Amino acid sequence: MGIFILRRTGVMLLTAICLTFIVFLMTNLYPNLEKLAKNEGNFRMSDAEVASFLGNRGYTQGKLQNYGEWLGVLPGYVIEGIDGKTRGRCSNHGAIVENTGKYCGVIQGNWGFSSRFKEPVSKIVAKRLALTGKLMFWVLAVMIPSALIIGIMAGMREGSRLDRALSTGAIVTTATPEYVSGVIFIAVFTSSAVGLKWFKGSATSAMDHATLENFLLPVLTIALYGMGYIARMTRASMAEVMTAQYIRTARLKGVSFANIVLKHALRNALIAPFTVIMLQIPWLLNGVVIVEVLFNFKGFGWVLVQAASNNDIDLLLAVSVVSVVVVLLTQLISDIGYVFLNPRIRIT
Amino acid sequence: MTKNNSFMHPAAEMYASEEKAGKLDRREFISRATALGVSTVAAYGLLGLDAPAEAGGHAKMGGTIRMQMDVKAMKDPRTHDWTQISIFSAGWLEYLVEYNSDGSFKPMLLSSWEANADATQYVLKIREGVKWNNGDDFTADDVARNIIGWCDKGLEGNSMAGRMASLVDEATGKAREGAVVAVDSSTVHLNLLQPDITIVPGMADYPAQIVHKSFTVETMVSNPIGTGFMLPENLEVGVKASIVKNEGFEWWGYAAGKGGYIDRIEFIDYGSDPATHMAGFESEEFDLNWETTGEFVELYDALGLVKSQVASGATIVVRPNQGHAPYDNKMVRQALAMAVDNEILNELGNAGLGVAADNCHVGPMHPEHNPDVTRAPFNPGKAKELMDASGHGDFEHELRSLDTGFWKDTCDAVAAQLRDAGIKVKRTLMPGSTFWNDWTKFPYSATNWNHRPLGTQVLGLAYKSGEAWNEFAWSNAEFDGLLAEANSLANADERRVVMGKIQALVIEEGVTCQPYWRLVQRHHVEGLVGVDMHIAYLPQIYKWGHAV
Repeated sequence: MGIFILRRTGVMLLTAICLTFIVFLMTNLYPNLEKLAKNEGNFRMSDAEVASFLGNRGYTQGKLQNYGEWLGVLPGYVIEGIDGKTRGRCSNHGAIVENTGKYCGVIQGNWGFSSRFKEPVSKIVAKRLALTGKLMFWVLAVMIPSALIIGIMAGMREGSRLDRALSTGAIVTTATPEYVSGVIFIAVFTSSAVGLKWFKGSATSAMDHATLENFLLPVLTIALYGMGYIARMTRASMAEVMTAQYIRTARLKGVSFANIVLKHALRNALIAPFTVIMLQIPWLLNGVVIVEVLFNFKGFGWVLVQAASNNDIDLLLAVSVVSVVVVLLTQLISDIGYVFLNPRIRIT
Repeated sequence: MTKNNSFMHPAAEMYASEEKAGKLDRREFISRATALGVSTVAAYGLLGLDAPAEAGGHAKMGGTIRMQMDVKAMKDPRTHDWTQISIFSAGWLEYLVEYNSDGSFKPMLLSSWEANADATQYVLKIREGVKWNNGDDFTADDVARNIIGWCDKGLEGNSMAGRMASLVDEATGKAREGAVVAVDSSTVHLNLLQPDITIVPGMADYPAQIVHKSFTVETMVSNPIGTGFMLPENLEVGVKASIVKNEGFEWWGYAAGKGGYIDRIEFIDYGSDPATHMAGFESEEFDLNWETTGEFVELYDALGLVKSQVASGATIVVRPNQGHAPYDNKMVRQALAMAVDNEILNELGNAGLGVAADNCHVGPMHPEHNPDVTRAPFNPGKAKELMDASGHGDFEHELRSLDTGFWKDTCDAVAAQLRDAGIKVKRTLMPGSTFWNDWTKFPYSATNWNHRPLGTQVLGLAYKSGEAWNEFAWSNAEFDGLLAEANSLANADERRVVMGKIQALVIEEGVTCQPYWRLVQRHHVEGLVGVDMHIAYLPQIYKWGHAV
């Protein structure tokens, strides 16, 4: 088990390095650098001004050199610009001060400085990830129990009226993407046009104080979409287990239906949904992009959009590292979880 | 030279009689009349009513206002490229001169200014008794240092250098030796290369905030030294920002009766989707938005929010290019202008979010506009006669425009009216990617133009012979002479005499159809004063307050 986890960690590191290098190359293409310069300087800057801006701030060095500086294996640049000011990577592209370090990369624990937000990347990512964590927690808290209950109820008597009703409901919620359901929710429950005004159509205030009124709709929008999907998987898995020989045997023995479902069928039926739930978590991470923008909730998805649209290099790199970690970590958990759910599988 | 805009627009009186006859509702009347530069109080006066308390401008001290606005990163004021950046720093950084929606310029950190006869020399008088919030006195040296800083072309993205061009030495990219002189502690002299009446408007534009001698970009928020009555409290780019009253600081404006009512202003970022803004407004998360556009104007009106609207100098021209036949013929051009009703173009092409204009690209928002000069009257019959008389009665015109928005709608309406008048026309729609490559060269097409404070500015850019943006291909020595004369008259009242001739000439030559001035607007909840939409989006937060 220890070796397995170690190997997975190694894969994770390798993936992160490959991915960040690709992201790095893309964000350092000249048109993207030009966008960065115009966002930071003035968006009506001339080409000559853009070139001097980038040159003064070390963006026009070799790509490998810059990547090495970001990693922290090469010392950060120190450049005397044509405007006479000396700037360095280790002082966030600003004027060099006395005690500025020589190396300032990820290895040294420095994730860089966001050009869009003018704050250290680590601070932004931590803050925004916590906000998305809050959203995700409530999404999972709503989604998983309700999805499992619906799936089990539908799957325990395949073809019954209850099954048809619940399956239809599940298909409807899965077939409705967030940007449709979110807009419908806002229109129906928050606007003066319909006049209900039960909830708030903006989750801006939920960043500080989440209440049922301002947080229910974004949570529900994400949860409903995933819920239908997981419920369908649970139902299929449950229905399959219910036709197995050992269930029939249990029935013939005279075990009550409730006991069959809860004691005999449930554990076996949960293996497939468990994987789906684990796969759902990294997927939720980009699902929240739409909902966060729609409800103006400034979490990780919003940071991703902002970083990408402003070509904020350091921030994009950190975002991709976080994504790699989340994806591979949930995979690891799902692999380990298998062992407990299914004793026939063993990890070496 | 401060112009007091006290004239009553003749159209406002006409609207008032229409309101009394029941042809206009009161709200529409007020919005139209005030859009023409009539003050709200005067507009209500025309109806024989007293202005409501909000409109009268009685604010009480204290309170918080929350505004929906893009929260952007702070940078050197000279490099500001969005007014949203300046409104935050306007809390503690102020302007020498203030530009108002009625077209007037009012002194702020200056007490007055004066130009010589041909506008090549300016004397700036510094306001007495102004102090920086660290206790330093505000002097002529501060003003001279800031103006010299504006002239620095070496600073990447410094847009003030363009506004100060007549002070800049082309060779060094800095202020010319002797161009800016602090004569004594309260007087600065500017010595210009050529006559320039735009230098004072330039000082009122949003990047022209006055900074302290210790200013650095890195410390501008952490160590906010300025002359204004507020201080930054927090700035979270893309999320929210707030400025709070600088308690205990003796701001010069209190004594001068400028206001400075509010204790705290919060700016909350809702991204770029107006539907999200609307959800925020409905959730009562803010009191005031940055700008309302398009269909949302009606939606917000229906929510019972207060609309603040002003006719800006932003406009569209549907113009023939005289470099192409048959548009070198004056009668053809006159016919094109005469055959269309500008009111109808405003209704159909601009969803009524504008005020009809007079085909001369100078309007009531410009200080030197002469309201007595109006368009050649709308007369389709006469237009057809002129077209036939010119010998091009059967010519089929091809009107090009962008394929979206008010460009397309306006040109469609123009084409429909030309056909009604019996003039043949076909429409060609082009995407922005191809249209803007050749926008100055098409024989007959439509272009939008942004607001500029002085009437002479767009005329100089687009109507003067040989200019790069002269899309009319109009070359007229008489016009050039009149424009040069206007450009040397710093006094708007003197300039109006010349401007009247210019307007008449542009209309007589049928240079363009310029159908309407576009309205800009924002909405806010009841009970706020001074938060009106500004014609150039300038940050006049000292006027903001809660109604008594």
